[in-house]
Amino acid sequence: MSKHIDIMPPRAASLNTLTATMAIMCYLACLAVGALILIDRAVDTWAKGLSQELTVQIREVSSSNIEADVAAAKELLAGFSGVVSVDDLGKDAGMALLEPWLGKEGLAELPIPRLLKLRIGTMDDAGLEVMSAALMARLPHASLDTHRRWEAELTRMAGTLSLLSMLVLALIGASTIAMVVSASRAVLESNRSIVDVLQLVGAENRFIARQMDKRFLATGLWAGLLGIILALATFYGLSRTGLGGAHGLAQATRSLFYVPTPDSWWAYGYLLAVPVAATALALLTSRLALLRMLRG
Amino acid sequence: MVLDLKHVGLAYDGTREVLRDVDFVLDKGSFVFLTGASGSGKSSLLRLLFAALKPTRGHLRIFDQDVSELSASDLPKLRRRIGVVFQDFRLIDHLTVFENVALPLRVQGQSPTTYRQNVNDLLDWVGLAAQAQAYPAVLSGGEKQRAAIARAVISKPELLLADEPTGNVDPALARRLLHLFAELNRMGTTVLLATHDMALLSTIKAPVLHLQDGIVSEMAKAA
Repeated sequence: MSKHIDIMPPRAASLNTLTATMAIMCYLACLAVGALILIDRAVDTWAKGLSQELTVQIREVSSSNIEADVAAAKELLAGFSGVVSVDDLGKDAGMALLEPWLGKEGLAELPIPRLLKLRIGTMDDAGLEVMSAALMARLPHASLDTHRRWEAELTRMAGTLSLLSMLVLALIGASTIAMVVSASRAVLESNRSIVDVLQLVGAENRFIARQMDKRFLATGLWAGLLGIILALATFYGLSRTGLGGAHGLAQATRSLFYVPTPDSWWAYGYLLAVPVAATALALLTSRLALLRMLRG
Repeated sequence: MVLDLKHVGLAYDGTREVLRDVDFVLDKGSFVFLTGASGSGKSSLLRLLFAALKPTRGHLRIFDQDVSELSASDLPKLRRRIGVVFQDFRLIDHLTVFENVALPLRVQGQSPTTYRQNVNDLLDWVGLAAQAQAYPAVLSGGEKQRAAIARAVISKPELLLADEPTGNVDPALARRLLHLFAELNRMGTTVLLATHDMALLSTIKAPVLHLQDGIVSEMAKAA
């Protein structure tokens, strides 16, 4: 006999209820982490698209020749370093945009602005301002839309959603802490006679609390594993079917979790942090709660 | 001085005192009986003496330390110097006799390889060598009592407090256990033995503290 036997009876005060509720919390936490990653990636992709694409609008005025203005603008803009391409969307593109509001009839007679699509590589705000000023100097009735306002809105929305996800994670963490504290009290009370004997023979509170560690460690690990397995099953389901025909969600989930890109490895890393955090939370909370109760 | 009590009072509910003006001193190496009828406050007094409770008035010093000044973190160190035998044994059911007896050494951080021989020797001494791997549930009252005594003395405490340690055994075994306490006392352990078995007092010549209605009313030499 060279190994210590557990002083606390393994089956006294079952932690099954805590394991089940913690598993649900871990599942919700995994979903929140997944949502956070999806929002982050989606906004990143949209913002990248927006910031690399600009629109030039040239209004038709009575004194001008619109085709000449378009050609002049294309020539001017193509001369800027950082501009990858300048495409004239043609008269039809402007008409198509206005058609839902104005209808088809008589649309061709209206002086509809011409739209140019600019693709840029890297260009800072100062460069964009210089380009805009040069365009307006050459064509006073032209304007450059950098989509910065939309990008700012998108970033703000993403920030709000991320904050909400983090708030959900914090609430899940707080609920888990409350559950572990309650379970610690139950374990302590159901083993009170053993705790009394341990105190009687001179055990320090840390020693007594340590006797319960193994059970909370197992609880945290099991709950974390169950939670992540359920979450992966959910993500798999979403990637196959979407949510009520939301194919974009299906695609996003699929690309994030099942396509081997560096991003998906990070996503797996974040998800794996959930059971680790659950185990650490269960251990640390139970230890602190037990020490506090033993002191009291 | 191992124990020093001056006007010690104890009231559980804050009003009715279970112990009133308890005064006595226990020197190092002494052997004392504590007698009194059931409900006289013997168990409460013992609980004070291993600092499970603090007196509600008066002064109690254990190993020259004022109990009222002890913090919670000081208690484990103090209790490691005291062995306690309870009337109800307080053995842990899912641990074997060996593991129960080894518990005080284990909480002190000793490894099984270090204490195995000591525990086996002690179990042999109290006549429980054959039951070392048995669980408390299958032991007789006397065997449980001896296991509880072994656990109380395994770490060679300076003070041994025993509450009715012979209450569950036949007279022959009671005498044997009493001689075991006397042997420990000869080895330097201060012993305070609470009993209401007056016949036991004639077995060993030792001072007797008599507790009645919460007051130590007499102190006499046993016959």
